[in-house]
Amino acid sequence: MTTPSIGTPNPAPPVPDPAPGPAAAVWNGSSTATQIRVLTGRSLRALVSDPGVLAFGLFQPVIILFVLTQVFTGMGKSAHFPAGVSYLDFVMPAVLVDNAVQSAVQSGIGVVDDLKNGMVARLRSLPIHPASLLVARSLANLVRAAIQIAVVIVLAVVVLGYSPKGGAGQLLASAGLAVFITWTLGWAFIAAATWLRRAEPMQNLSVIALIPLMFASSAYIPVSDLPEWLRVIAKVNPLTYAIDTARALALDLPGAGAAVPAVLISAGIAVVGGVFAVVGLRRPL
Amino acid sequence: MSGPTSPTAARTAGDIMIEADGVSRAFGSLRALDSVSLSARRGTVLGLLGHNGAGKTTLVNVLTAALPPSSGRAAVAGFDVTRAPREVRKRIGLTGQFASVDPQLSGRDNLVLLARLLGADRRSARVRADELLELFGLQGFASRRPGTYSGGLRRRLDLAASLVGHPDVIFLDEPTTGLDPSSRLNLWEIVEDLVAGGTTVLLTTQYLDEADRLADSITVLSAGAVIASGTAAELKAQVGTCTVTVTPDSAAGPAVTCAALRQAGLEPVPDRENGTVAVAVEASKDIAQVIRALDRAGIGATALSFREPSLDDVYLALAGRSAGAAS
Ligand SMILES: Nc1ncnc2c1ncn2[C@@H]1O[C@H](COP(=O)(O)OP(=O)(O)OP(=O)(O)O)[C@@H](O)[C@H]1O
Ligand SMILES: [Mg+2]
Repeated sequence: MTTPSIGTPNPAPPVPDPAPGPAAAVWNGSSTATQIRVLTGRSLRALVSDPGVLAFGLFQPVIILFVLTQVFTGMGKSAHFPAGVSYLDFVMPAVLVDNAVQSAVQSGIGVVDDLKNGMVARLRSLPIHPASLLVARSLANLVRAAIQIAVVIVLAVVVLGYSPKGGAGQLLASAGLAVFITWTLGWAFIAAATWLRRAEPMQNLSVIALIPLMFASSAYIPVSDLPEWLRVIAKVNPLTYAIDTARALALDLPGAGAAVPAVLISAGIAVVGGVFAVVGLRRPL
Repeated sequence: MSGPTSPTAARTAGDIMIEADGVSRAFGSLRALDSVSLSARRGTVLGLLGHNGAGKTTLVNVLTAALPPSSGRAAVAGFDVTRAPREVRKRIGLTGQFASVDPQLSGRDNLVLLARLLGADRRSARVRADELLELFGLQGFASRRPGTYSGGLRRRLDLAASLVGHPDVIFLDEPTTGLDPSSRLNLWEIVEDLVAGGTTVLLTTQYLDEADRLADSITVLSAGAVIASGTAAELKAQVGTCTVTVTPDSAAGPAVTCAALRQAGLEPVPDRENGTVAVAVEASKDIAQVIRALDRAGIGATALSFREPSLDDVYLALAGRSAGAAS
């Protein structure tokens, strides 16, 4: 019997085998772009077939939006609160960034799921670039975050009468920044997923990391009104830059220059996270 | 970057589709594989037998380029698993010990997804998925998610998933665990058809009848080392052609019985679980030899049976022998 595939240099042409059965119609493999597209479609399809995930993800930002605006509007404003800005206007960018951060965790959870249900094991036995799965997870999650952010904004506009001074264009830019944060920060959690490989430590990590990051920032009150020690953290906290930028854009205030550190820091996180994620995924299962 | 490790070797030894040469793998201080060598020719089934923890899955992981060996060399379809893992992956299918399907996609969509990832267009992906669903009797469950499947159905989907790309070499790690008898038979027939078409199969199993029926050659692993290999017939020959099983009465017990039989120049193997002793003999006339030895030692037996050898005897004898050597 001849052995057509052996010793044939890459890519092996599909040589028809006289014997029926295997090696009959072998496909020639797919490009990394195709792999990413197909796998992203798969994650998005799960989003459509299980809309509960989306609804659940909306829970926290919507609660924060409604509860915070009601509570803080009644309390009056702190000393350094920007003049002529309502609390809703002030907190809305923080809600978007908080939503972005929560969504970022979901990228990691998706990868943990794939490690658990054996999809990673299956893909590793096939001629598929393993990073395709990670990129696909992160892209699908970007779509998910964008949908969530859109829903939150629409709710704020329709129910709470949110109408920022910056106008629709700049509001869109601030939402875009939030989505960008989701995507970049997502890589930190994807990296964590490939190393931890379990959902519980991931959840713990996100709570431990995110609560201080959100509160020690300009999210809910101006940094100048934070106690001294929190102020120190807030000033090096990348989320402060992200929130300041989103706020400056939406409210048409000066300070959109914070976009530069916000984008640079989160791009840095994405690059480092991406490298660690790919290395982590290579480790034996 | 990739390519056969040695083109001439790959071409002349082209018929060897699975090859391990002194493969060892350690996990910390544990030697999960200890200098394992084996090979399988194109269109044959290699059966890998071993107790829990013998190293079967570890060997499958090494051969499917999922786990680098600590030392030694392994090649599949003529490609070295550490130097050309991508070439290996293009030619293999793997059904791991634990199901690997996406619980959020329907059965059909799982198969379509894999076909698309292997380079099929939408249409041929769907055609291939339907072929496999039919082959494994899953048509009725095609649009349901594997999360709602029974264990056996999920197993079948998993097997179908490993065949999507028409692999040259298939690795099946305990493929029939959890299958009902008719699904087992169905799987055996599928394997036989694939092999008839030139596919090479490595199959790990705890079921000896499965290895006996499917495998052209069998390798027995114990504590990471190969303790026997050959065809079923060769293995049977190693433990004698026939087996006498003695059930000694409670006064004697297996240990005393073994000592007495050993004194008579026989090679008894105790089965402590069942309280019996198996003795390999040349032919049926040698039963008398066993009876005389028992009689001389004054050992009473509650039952005595004579059987042509099965692979179970081989397995028991070999595993017993190596356990004896280890302790
Ligand atoms: N990732 C790992 N880390 C540490 N030890 C491991 C790892 N994988 C396997 N082992 C050990 O290596 C040995 C061989 O395991 P393996 O899974 O290959 O056995 P097996 O023959 O497949 O057993 P079973 O029949 O139970 O599936 C076992 O002692 C196991 O505990
Ligand atoms: Mg195993």
